Amino acid sequence: MSRSETPSWERHLDRWAEAAARQLARGLSRRSLLGRLGATLAGAAALPLLPVSRVSAASSDPAPAAPEGLDGPEGDPSSCQYWRHCAIDGFLCSCCGGSHTACPPGTVMSPVTWIGTCRNPADGRQYVISYNDCCGKHLCGRCLCNRNEGDRPAYLPPKSNDINWCASAPSTVYHCSTAIVLGVATES
Amino acid sequence: MRRMPAAILVLSFAVLLPPPPSGADPERPEPLPADALGVILPAPPPAPHQVWVADFVLERTAGFDANDGRLLGMLSAGVGTIAPLFSQARGEIYLPETYYSRGSRGTRTDVVTIYDAATLAPEAEVVVPPKRADVVHAMALSTLLDDGRFLAIANFTPATSVTIVDVEERRLVGEIATAGCHLVYAAGPRRFFMICGDGSLLQVTLDEAGHEQARIRTPPFFAILEDPVTEKAVRRGDEWIFVSFDGLVHSVDVAGETPRFAEPWSLLDEADRGASWRIGGVQHLAVHEASGRLYSLMHRGGPDEHKVPGTEIWVYDLETRRRVQTIGIRNLLGAFLAQQTGTPGGALLWLLERVVPNPGVDSIAVSQDADPRLFGLSRSAGTVAVWDARSGEFLRYLENVGIAPGALQAPWR
Repeated sequence: MSRSETPSWERHLDRWAEAAARQLARGLSRRSLLGRLGATLAGAAALPLLPVSRVSAASSDPAPAAPEGLDGPEGDPSSCQYWRHCAIDGFLCSCCGGSHTACPPGTVMSPVTWIGTCRNPADGRQYVISYNDCCGKHLCGRCLCNRNEGDRPAYLPPKSNDINWCASAPSTVYHCSTAIVLGVATES
Repeated sequence: MRRMPAAILVLSFAVLLPPPPSGADPERPEPLPADALGVILPAPPPAPHQVWVADFVLERTAGFDANDGRLLGMLSAGVGTIAPLFSQARGEIYLPETYYSRGSRGTRTDVVTIYDAATLAPEAEVVVPPKRADVVHAMALSTLLDDGRFLAIANFTPATSVTIVDVEERRLVGEIATAGCHLVYAAGPRRFFMICGDGSLLQVTLDEAGHEQARIRTPPFFAILEDPVTEKAVRRGDEWIFVSFDGLVHSVDVAGETPRFAEPWSLLDEADRGASWRIGGVQHLAVHEASGRLYSLMHRGGPDEHKVPGTEIWVYDLETRRRVQTIGIRNLLGAFLAQQTGTPGGALLWLLERVVPNPGVDSIAVSQDADPRLFGLSRSAGTVAVWDARSGEFLRYLENVGIAPGALQAPWR
C-alpha cells in the first residue's frame, strides 16, 4: 500500500511499533561500555586515514572484495537491526529500490558522508561503515531507522548522523541511506 | 463589447435568482445572508502561549494556540531544515529556505524570506549563498543577533562558513569563513559563536556593517572524546547552557569580550546514575529565563541513547543547581489514537493511555511569560502535550500537529 493510501493512524502505529522494536533490540544487544568505547576509539583512529570522498573513485574502480569472514548470512539489510546500521539515521535504501550498498535508480550518491564503526556478528570484527546518502528524489518514506552507536553532535560532522549528507551531492534533497563497508576498523 | 439587450439581461437574472417569497413562513427562519468573498484573516497577535511546530515532510511550520488548540496559520518553507527566527520588535519572521527549480533537482536557490508576523504573508526575500546547513534537529543552524538587525546562517557544503544577512536593510552582507567550526549561537548585538571540532568555541564579532571585525578562539571547554556536549543548548540572558551526554551542565557566559566558562555541574546524582537515568531526545532542554528553571528530558537507558525520547521532565533551579520537580509524561500515542477514533477525551482516552506503550517525548519548549506553559512533542504520535510549567499540571493535548513534526518553538513573549 502506498503512503498516500495508508490511513494516518496506521502510519503512526507502524512508526511506533518500529520504534518500540528498535528500543527493545537496543536493550538486548547492549554491550559493555568498554567495548563501545574501544570501537569508537578504533573508528576515530581510522578516521584521518579514510578518504572522505570515495564515490567518484568508486565509479571507475572495480568493486572492492568483501573482507574475509563476510561470507554467509549477514542478516537482513532491510532490517533496522542489521549489524551495519549501528549508527544510521534515515530510510534504508534496501527498502527504497536500492540496496544496503547501492542507491535506488535515478538517485545520486553523496560523495561525502559520515562514518560509523559496527561489529559484524558473523566474524566478531569491527568494521568502518560509510553511510552514504542517496539524493535527488524526495524522502523514500520506508524503513526509517535511527541508531546512534558512536553518533556525535553536528559540530563533529564525520561522526554525526543528523546531518543531511546530500549537502555534497548535486541535489541536497535526501532520499535514503546506504551502509557501505570501508574496511576493518583498526583495533586499538 | 456589444451591449446585451436589456430584456435578455433581465431574463438571465430571473433564471438565476429564486422567486420572491410569496409570504413570510413563521416556521421557517430567515434565509442566510450572502457571505463576503475573498476574505483572508490576519494572524492572531503574537502571544506567549503560541507554539510553532515545523514539519519537513509537509515543508512548513505551523503555529498553534496552546490555550485552545487552534491552528493559527503556517509558513511554507521549501526543502531541508525549517527553523524560523521570530523578531518581536520588528513584527517579522525570518525563514531560511531552500528551493530547487525542478522541485527535487535543478538550480538551487537559498533565500531568507521575511514574513509579516501580522499576516504570515511574505514581504520580501534576500537571496543568500546556496549553502545553508541541513540538520534534522534544526537547532543552532541560524540565529538572530541580539538587537535583531543581523541574522547568521550556518553553512555546510560540507565546508563550513556563515552567511550574514541584514534584515533591517533586507540585504545580504556576505560570508565568513569558519573552517573547523560549525553551528551558530547569538552572543550579543554584533557577536555570535560556533563550536569547533576540538571542543573550543570560535567567537566572531561584526562591525556596524555586519562584516567580520574580530575573532577569538577559546580553549576547549568540554571533553570532546569522553563526554561531548549536545549542540541543543538553551539561552538565559548572557548565559548559554550546554549539557553533555552524561548530564554535565557547561555554562558559557557571553557578556564580556571573551566567553567565560562556569564550573560544570551535574544533572544527575549517584542514585540517578545508578538507576541509569540520562538525557535524551531531539530537543532535550528548555529554560524559563525569569524563574531560572531548567527543564531537561530524561529517560533510563545506556550509552549512545542520547536521542531516545524522554519519559520524564526534570526541573532544576539554576541558582541552587538542585532538582526541584519531576513532571511525568502522559501517553501521547494514546491521545493520538483516541483522537483518530473521534473521541479525544473520556473513557477511551483513559484506556488507550494505559494500554498503548508510551512513546515518550522527543522535544520540549517553554514559554517565557509569568504564567508559562511547558510543551512536549512526540514525533511518532504527532502530538504536543501542554503543561503548566510552574505546577507541572497537565492541561491539554494539541493533536495532528504534523506528519513528521520537528523543531518546537515558543517564540513570542
